[in-house]
Amino acid sequence: MSIMDLTSMAEAQKADRQELEERLRKLSLEAAEKCYQCGKCTSGCEAHKLLELEPHRIVALTKAGLFSEMTSSDLIWTCVSCFKCYERCPQKVAPVNILFALKNLSVLNGKDVPGNYTAMLQSAMTIGLVQDVQETVDRKGAVRTRDSLGLPPPPRPKDMEHFMAAIMGTAVEKV
Amino acid sequence: MPTEQYGYELSVREVLPRLGVELVDIEGFSCCGEPLKSVNQMLTIHLSARNIAICESQGLDIFVPCPMCHLALSEAKAILSENKELLQRVKEKLSAEDLSYKGTARLYHTVDLLTDIVGIDAIKAKATKPLNGMDLATHYGCHIIRPSILGRPQDSEDPAGMERILEALGGRSSHYPEKLDCCGGPLLPNHPDTAVTKTGEKLKAVQEQGFDGMVLACPWCSKMFDSKQKKGGEVVGAQLSVPVVYITQLLGLAMGIEPSKLGLDLNQSPVVKLMEKMGVAF
Ligand code: SF4
Ligand code: SF4
Repeated sequence: MSIMDLTSMAEAQKADRQELEERLRKLSLEAAEKCYQCGKCTSGCEAHKLLELEPHRIVALTKAGLFSEMTSSDLIWTCVSCFKCYERCPQKVAPVNILFALKNLSVLNGKDVPGNYTAMLQSAMTIGLVQDVQETVDRKGAVRTRDSLGLPPPPRPKDMEHFMAAIMGTAVEKV
Repeated sequence: MPTEQYGYELSVREVLPRLGVELVDIEGFSCCGEPLKSVNQMLTIHLSARNIAICESQGLDIFVPCPMCHLALSEAKAILSENKELLQRVKEKLSAEDLSYKGTARLYHTVDLLTDIVGIDAIKAKATKPLNGMDLATHYGCHIIRPSILGRPQDSEDPAGMERILEALGGRSSHYPEKLDCCGGPLLPNHPDTAVTKTGEKLKAVQEQGFDGMVLACPWCSKMFDSKQKKGGEVVGAQLSVPVVYITQLLGLAMGIEPSKLGLDLNQSPVVKLMEKMGVAF
């Protein structure tokens, strides 16, 4: 089911709308209000070509304050953050950043986070990297480590205790 | 930068010092936080500002070989220079680790470091093995060209840094309509089949247009076009055989550096074809 099918009976969420506008302002981004629905963002959208994401509709629904329909949809997680929509919008609106806001809102509302985000988050908070050092294979299929390639160990936070305390504080904050 | 694309790291460490760039490994660094922006952008801003602050404490500018990290750091700088309240909040967070953020460190990505700081003449002077007129498709990585409002190092619709380097090395890069298309990488966690479809489609276009290979400057894109080329070919129904190399690997070859020192045994795509055309033994 697409997002639009769900909206006919929906009611606007004014508080979310206000918060989103406030967030865009904090990040020095143009208000969703500026969008005049030309559709240029969707015409070049990388996620639209193979999936169903339509950034101009995301902006329209944002203007209408219909957030719960979007934050509960998997569609917002299909954006590849190619930034073409923002780059090409004649009104300097940034659908990509509205999508980041919606995803943040969805997480804040306790919706399931898709993919491996939970693992990345956990890793970032405990070792400072979203992914620990990986082995690789060469063209012949032999396993190669950083060490065997002569690469130094990657850096990590030095004062782990204070790093973790600070980052965990941030994890429960909003922009 | 994903901690597995060692061909990029090896070639960067091998090539840049020979061109007069002194690389300093920074202790205490963490991830830039960009992959977590969908979860909570505040984390991204915090982690990026943290890395910038660490470099500033040593009076260094920052070389950021990964376009995604480069965007995260650039965006944090832009946001914190505009919004004093966020700046204050971030400063307080960083003080817990005795760090102080100024936002003055300059950021460089591989390509602009090569064209603007090292310079095309210096590159030419070091290149001994020419590309023999090879035509290579360039792929930059979305985050190094967009959004231009944040001051990206390459032009958003007509990036040209790698083209200049290729010409200096005796090669060229024809324009192709799919040049600015995404590699599909960000879809990998949630929609793996769609992700490799994008990869396969772009490579297929490159192959059909007769390019000798593809050259890139993003570890995520290499993970797709090089490591997942076979899978991409299967999904789009094409026999793909496109050599994919990092610009620093290619430059290293042109400078006469041994392929294994440039990590060329780690590329999964048929890079030997490309080396043969340059007359490099492998
Ligand atoms: S390109 Fe800009 S103005 Fe046009 S529909 Fe998209 S967001 Fe709205
Ligand atoms: S950033 Fe996301 S919404 Fe914007 S064009 Fe790219 S994939 Fe589409």
